Amino acid sequence: MMLTGRCLPRRTFLKGVGAVISLPLLDAMTPALRAAAPAGPSRLAFTYVPNGVTMADWTPAGAGRAFDLPRILQPLAPFREQLLVVSGLSHQNANALGDGPGDHARAAACYLTGVHPRKTAGGDIQNGISVDQLAAAHWASETRLPSLELGCDDSRTVGNCDSGYSCAYTNSVSWRGPVTPMPPELNPRLVFERLFGAFDRDADPAVRARRLHDRRSVLDAVTGRARALSMDLGAHDRRKLDEYFTSIREIERRIDVAEHDTRDLPPGIEKPPGIPVGYADYVKVMFDLQVAAFQADQTRVVTMMLGREGSLRTYPEIGVPDPHHPLTHHGGKTDWIEKVTKINVLHMELFAYFLGRLRDTPEGDASLLDRVMLVYGSGISDGDRHAHDDLPVLLAGSGNGAWKGGRHLTFAPGTPMANLYLTLLDRVGVTPESIGDSTGKINQLTDM
Amino acid sequence: VRTWLAVVPALLLTLTHVSARVSPRGSDDAFPQAVQPFLADHCFGCHNTTKAKGGLDLKAFRTADPVAEAPDTWEKVAAKIRTGEMPPEDEERPDPAAAAAVSRWIDEHLARADAAAPADPGRVTTRRLNRAEYNNTVRDLLAVDLQPADEFPQDDSGYGFDNIGDVLSVPPLLAERYMVAAERVSRAAVFGTGQIKPTLVRCQPRARSIQPSPLVPARYDETGLAMPNAVHATRRLPAAGTYRVRVFTGGSRPAGSEPVRIALWIDGAKIAEQTLDPTAVASFTDDKQDFSGKVREFELSLSAGEHWIAASIPAIFEGLPASYGGPRPSALPEPPPPVFVPPADADPERIERRRKAFEAEHAAPVPANDARISYFEVAGPYDVAPGPSLETKQHLYACGHLSGGHTSTCPRTILRSLTRRAYRRPVTAGDLEPLLALFTSARAHGDSFDEALAAAVHAVLMSPDFLFRIERGGPAGAGAADADLLRLTDHELAARLSYFLWASMPDRRLRRLADEGRLGAAGVLDGEVRRMLQDPKAQALVQEFGGQWLQIRALESAAPDRDRFPAFDDYLRISMRRETELFFERIVREDRSILEFLDAPWTFVNERLALHYGIEGVRGPAFRPVALDGLPRAGVLTQASVLTVSSYATRTSPVLRGKWILENLLAAPPPPPPPGVPPLPDATATAPQSVRQQLEAHRANPTCASCHRRMDPLGFGLEHYDAIGAWRETDGNTPIDAAGALPDGRTFHDTAELRAILAGEREAFTKALGAKLLTWALGRGLESPDRRLVRSFARDLPRDGYRFSALVLAIVHSPAFQMRRGSPS
Repeated sequence: MMLTGRCLPRRTFLKGVGAVISLPLLDAMTPALRAAAPAGPSRLAFTYVPNGVTMADWTPAGAGRAFDLPRILQPLAPFREQLLVVSGLSHQNANALGDGPGDHARAAACYLTGVHPRKTAGGDIQNGISVDQLAAAHWASETRLPSLELGCDDSRTVGNCDSGYSCAYTNSVSWRGPVTPMPPELNPRLVFERLFGAFDRDADPAVRARRLHDRRSVLDAVTGRARALSMDLGAHDRRKLDEYFTSIREIERRIDVAEHDTRDLPPGIEKPPGIPVGYADYVKVMFDLQVAAFQADQTRVVTMMLGREGSLRTYPEIGVPDPHHPLTHHGGKTDWIEKVTKINVLHMELFAYFLGRLRDTPEGDASLLDRVMLVYGSGISDGDRHAHDDLPVLLAGSGNGAWKGGRHLTFAPGTPMANLYLTLLDRVGVTPESIGDSTGKINQLTDM
Repeated sequence: VRTWLAVVPALLLTLTHVSARVSPRGSDDAFPQAVQPFLADHCFGCHNTTKAKGGLDLKAFRTADPVAEAPDTWEKVAAKIRTGEMPPEDEERPDPAAAAAVSRWIDEHLARADAAAPADPGRVTTRRLNRAEYNNTVRDLLAVDLQPADEFPQDDSGYGFDNIGDVLSVPPLLAERYMVAAERVSRAAVFGTGQIKPTLVRCQPRARSIQPSPLVPARYDETGLAMPNAVHATRRLPAAGTYRVRVFTGGSRPAGSEPVRIALWIDGAKIAEQTLDPTAVASFTDDKQDFSGKVREFELSLSAGEHWIAASIPAIFEGLPASYGGPRPSALPEPPPPVFVPPADADPERIERRRKAFEAEHAAPVPANDARISYFEVAGPYDVAPGPSLETKQHLYACGHLSGGHTSTCPRTILRSLTRRAYRRPVTAGDLEPLLALFTSARAHGDSFDEALAAAVHAVLMSPDFLFRIERGGPAGAGAADADLLRLTDHELAARLSYFLWASMPDRRLRRLADEGRLGAAGVLDGEVRRMLQDPKAQALVQEFGGQWLQIRALESAAPDRDRFPAFDDYLRISMRRETELFFERIVREDRSILEFLDAPWTFVNERLALHYGIEGVRGPAFRPVALDGLPRAGVLTQASVLTVSSYATRTSPVLRGKWILENLLAAPPPPPPPGVPPLPDATATAPQSVRQQLEAHRANPTCASCHRRMDPLGFGLEHYDAIGAWRETDGNTPIDAAGALPDGRTFHDTAELRAILAGEREAFTKALGAKLLTWALGRGLESPDRRLVRSFARDLPRDGYRFSALVLAIVHSPAFQMRRGSPS
């Protein structure tokens, strides 16, 4: 569909963004099957910004506890004690390594995997498993959705995305497996329906039970077909169908969960109407949905892309009518750098909104902010040079004490970003031998 | 003259002036005599075994006819020599005659090698339906037009298109959406779409600047659609039914005006008009009539699918008080000028302040055209027909019982008919039994006949046989020397045709021909292709293929800077897209020459686009064909849609436009910039230097020059068109210089001369469009045997006058389209 005059349900105008979703904590909402889980589980939230940031306005001057918040980080001042600014980490595998151009595609693909993606426009995409999906697999049996992938770029892609790389690389930072990108959901209404159910909320229990039975029969028929098909197809075709059957099994599992889940939609929560017109409103609704998802423990792992890598979004509302990506190739021109910084600051203000919502949402004797491990950053540091070293990385929240905040950590140049991921996973009890190019855990998160 | 020259007149155009002067070396000469000496003089310096620049070692070729060994390499070599891209600018120029003779020798040997090569259809990975295909297939299968795939995640693209089997994956999110969509569609088919809850959406303009003026222009768009006070939107409606559109107005008109009218337009046609009399409600001021908050509601019945909805104030300059001088002035008495009434009990100072404020407020005349549509709301659907449509019933109830009364054999009859269509092949008991078992089990569980049927339909729509286009091919070795090659079955061929040309499933006629095994018969296949191209469903080819080839899909998210391009509004955006679609549709429908994409002296415009292009005498929102004689436009390249998507939001980019031409029209995409190059200064339109000067400085760097001397000049030739495709004489204060020189030495002074050069590139264009269309038709990236096919398009199409159907038929007749390689197990 052609998105021209933006259309929005009236509700948005009546209620104002931010008020659309507000979810009180109701212990009754906790499904029976999660009764054994600890009172406040840790969660992981990754927030990705495209095209790098103005590093001069990002990296704090001091180290340790003595550091000032530079301009881009200023919006986070109220959360200083829950921040860990991390400098010096790199994604070597986002570099060309002989593959030529395509730094934007590699930046996104490598960001959470630490893997050098195969250069291809189609057929044989190959990346690694992303850190969020490792955590999602760990928690899969505990929440309704293993993970949630969100994006805030509602434009459709046309043609090749970056220098001979498939659009799958620029569109998704989350990868369930080397050939399975997890495309972000862009429409807040659909995110809501995914989290809180699209239908049957008001159906009577008998009808509901019949529907569940029918749905399960439908899936049985599909999986029955899987056996017959896998017999007579070539390896390549089989792989495509296997992907489908794997997803079908996950839906089966979810239907099982739904059968035992008799709670109603919590009061106070309303379905967002669609994609808001203004970018800030759009991003805020998506952050609201993350808060709601964590609050209702529908999932514990979320990735969100504030824009797809190489984004051409314009920001006229903050005086930047130029598209983002070309601006980052500023060649040192100060007025262009200023515009890039303005975009960076806007993104950070929105992230601060998210932190505020988490802080204001109590859970047990703490707040959601105390439970969540937030990782904010980009797969590119200096967008002008497409650099993948000394990446802008920021941890926020606390993840039940996964780190000691209020500090600026600096690492030796070339320390793999994946080492940080390995460490974060360790905090939630996931212990893969390595992630991408990781060389080991880092111990400065809690050591002072 | 040799015979091959007769079949490659395109080449002739560029070469005749050379061959007239020198006698070409005999093409029967072997490579060592005919080509090697030239290569030694001009190429071996870089392309040798040790340097192998660009990965190319030309010295390695030593046989009498190396072209057959590496046809794609030699195709490129010939092209680079012919266009003068190689040897590079800073090297000694080869003798043009010698260069022409060498590239000709290569071309001829390519033709021979291609003719001798064995058929190789390549391998197509099983493709799932993409979003457009899913929507269309469900529509054609059950006559249910819910457009459910709009809620699927975006399809990833590869090779420039979103129907590439290898790239289309099924993430868990998509499988979930399949489940929801299949349930919605199956219930809609059995119970009707009546269960859709009405929704209310507000449609607002993205951004606009309304500059009211008291003056009445001599000529303006009387429909009001092209005025900034109108609101346009496109909405996809989930179902046919009654919708209510509430139009909210704002602004004001001078007191003494006649009531204005509010017009509602659907898909460019005026559906209804209502008058709005602001005097009916009190106003805060006495010389203005305030519209704010006034609403008019329209109730109308709309079909499902995408609609262009617009609300406007027609003839806004009519009915004004006579003092405004507009046409058809108001018959109402002109109101007396407002009189200042001093407030009672006020001191003189305060009265004086009030008086000044009053005079200031009434000093400026009230604008004549300040009334506006603020936004509108679309609510619905209401009164959706309670059950499924008659068409849906006819599609579903193959047993013939359209209003119940089913017999015990009905489920089998219904499901056999449905699966044959949904799976696009004959079905077996093995296909039906699980569905019948499901039906029976649901019945046993307490479901009604209809509920159980809906569950079975749901299962059909979730089956991989529906969601994927699984091809197995006929018996091995049939009709081919290579035992591994399989001819597609007639049903598989029918599906390839229908998804290629309609992005949907085969229709009844294709199915019947396949059932009878006659689809591949001589004459039948060509007739079917021609019929399909005439069918309204071929619009999908224009929208899906065309939208991606010409990249006009990107218009949807184009956001030209509103300060620099205030003329860009949604009406213009919609009109731009429509122009290019209608243009493409006409070439398909009238089976015109594909070369018209390059230089057709006609197009389609409505009033908005006519205004944009400076065409006189076009009134109203409906599109009509116009001749472009005397206007600086022809072909797709100067259509506003293409010019907009190949620009940045704030400015034009000769580099982007040059790249667009090379990629989409000339099949010569430049390689991506090497890593670590300094950024292009391309963007600084505000700098004192012109973009052209900066780019020329940039090309002083030899690394950049090799590609930018191909891209930039092409873009310079289009500099007369701004970033939304409007004509301009200056860029800022700099007069436009649209002259340029191509790497092969050809020069042009303006767009018309550039277009003449491009129009001469028939071979390159045929290959470009041919390769794109073939990629689309096959759903996979092209490989070496496919390049052979693409070269054959360039050789064969001139014979058929470059007709669009000739290209489609050449693809349909190819082994790549009709065969597949057997699967290794």
